[in-house]
Amino acid sequence: MNTQKTWFVTGASKGLGLSLVKQLLDKGYNVAATSRSITDLTKVVGEHENFLPLSVNIKAEDSVTNAIDQMISHFGKIDVVVNNAGYGLTGSLEELSDEEARENFDVNVFGSLNVIRAVMPHLRAQQSGHIFNVSSIGGFTGNFPGFGIYCATKFAVQGFTESLAAESKSFGVKATIVSPGYFRTNFLAPDSLSTPKNEIQAYKEVRAVQAAHQNDINGNQAGDPDKAALVMIAAAESVEVPMHLFLGADAYGIAAQKMEDVKADMEAWRELATSTGFEVEA
Amino acid sequence: MDNKKTWFITGASKGFGLSLVKQLLQSGHNVAATSRNVTDLISAVGVTAPNFLPLEVELGNEDSVGCALHQTNAAFKSIDVVINNAGYGIGGSIEELTDRETRDNFEVNVFGTLNVIRMVMPYMRSQQSGHIINISSIAGISANTGWSVYAATKFSVVGLSEVLAQDVAEFGVKVTVVAPGAFRTSFLTGESLNMAKHPIADYSAVRDIHTKYLQMDGKQNGDPEKAAAAIIDVVQMENPPLYLLLGEDAYDRAMAKLEKLEREFRVNEAITKSMAYNA
Repeated sequence: MNTQKTWFVTGASKGLGLSLVKQLLDKGYNVAATSRSITDLTKVVGEHENFLPLSVNIKAEDSVTNAIDQMISHFGKIDVVVNNAGYGLTGSLEELSDEEARENFDVNVFGSLNVIRAVMPHLRAQQSGHIFNVSSIGGFTGNFPGFGIYCATKFAVQGFTESLAAESKSFGVKATIVSPGYFRTNFLAPDSLSTPKNEIQAYKEVRAVQAAHQNDINGNQAGDPDKAALVMIAAAESVEVPMHLFLGADAYGIAAQKMEDVKADMEAWRELATSTGFEVEA
Repeated sequence: MDNKKTWFITGASKGFGLSLVKQLLQSGHNVAATSRNVTDLISAVGVTAPNFLPLEVELGNEDSVGCALHQTNAAFKSIDVVINNAGYGIGGSIEELTDRETRDNFEVNVFGTLNVIRMVMPYMRSQQSGHIINISSIAGISANTGWSVYAATKFSVVGLSEVLAQDVAEFGVKVTVVAPGAFRTSFLTGESLNMAKHPIADYSAVRDIHTKYLQMDGKQNGDPEKAAAAIIDVVQMENPPLYLLLGEDAYDRAMAKLEKLEREFRVNEAITKSMAYNA
């Protein structure tokens, strides 16, 4: 009998998701993995006895619930969930249409919430489990000009994961926010990174940042996705799991800077900030 | 008055929005204010004046927002300050809140705010000036048990504000994100606060925290009039802050979160920094 943990990984046909699935299979874990296309997924992962590829539309709750049900009937349980599916979107808030903004939230936010809603009954019943939500360093700091909607989606992931960790603790269920810096995946490639349909040239800074990501940063990222995957596997096996897991020296530096900036702003404005209470009567 | 500005304030029939509208009208500013129901708005504000433009707006609908901004500019010839104040709280765990309940909260708290920003930026770019103030919450900085989706919407507001501040700096437009703690508004009353329609008995800790919050209603330490005055102060400043926390409770909770994060962060420093190909 296989006593290894059973993993559920979304967005597994490329990037961090694919690295994770390959390494998990190498180590003998049971893995259910999702992608929009089961053909794409099987093509890149290959066939394994303990691998269950699933075609899922993450945006549709029924499709997600159906996938979880299939997984439970195949492996009998679910131990670790990785909400990895997501994509990047550049553009200022003015340039990106209501539709473009909502589409990014559909996948990056509502998709993950669909998964969490569907797995929690199982994790509560077994009184164990671990949910990894892949955010981004852009979900911790908005110091990424031209990535406003993407950052808003990834900030949301950080917010609901902090709540999730608190509200699921009494069931023995753990939650971790993964905040990667730049990793050498296809994240910034033309078939992955979305750009505004209606660009406004007046946004010079936004256009420059977008071009830098497409031309200079793409393919030159410092981070190795295989190393990120190994850290996540180790975190899932550890007793004291981190709630905030930053990945990459760049992420570390940017996050440290953000904390200092917020503290400095807070301290500089402390007097005004704390002057809003009702007068206490003597 | 010399520093008379035109303000556009959403969700103005109660809470911070209403306090802001009243104070601004008293100081002679031009105020366009929105609500889902314009009759409620007019009766809450209690005055009709040439410098007050009450507007009925569906914030989740871009056309409705665009129309309101057009009317504001037509009436007052500029839009100087936008306050994205409309929003409501929803209590419940992620599992309890349906996809519909979740999306409805984002509709107002996030997509409504984005609609206003998208539609107001052409005016502010052509003026080469403006100040956008987004009302988040301390829950947008530090998330607690029982408010998962609300926290997610308010984290989003913080994130989009941080990026917006940089993206519009070249047009002379300023951005501030406000994170209030507990204020004595109608936020915790039945007409404002929504609770999960399908609670699950297992989540007793979530129920307990909700009971605690509801018992706080009417006893919150924060005075909304002072919050409104602080926001108005900030707009008059040459270099307004990006972050404005409001309330000692908000200040302390944000500081505690930062300190906890810093500790956790250092524990994992070696792992975090070992990701490079050549590391």
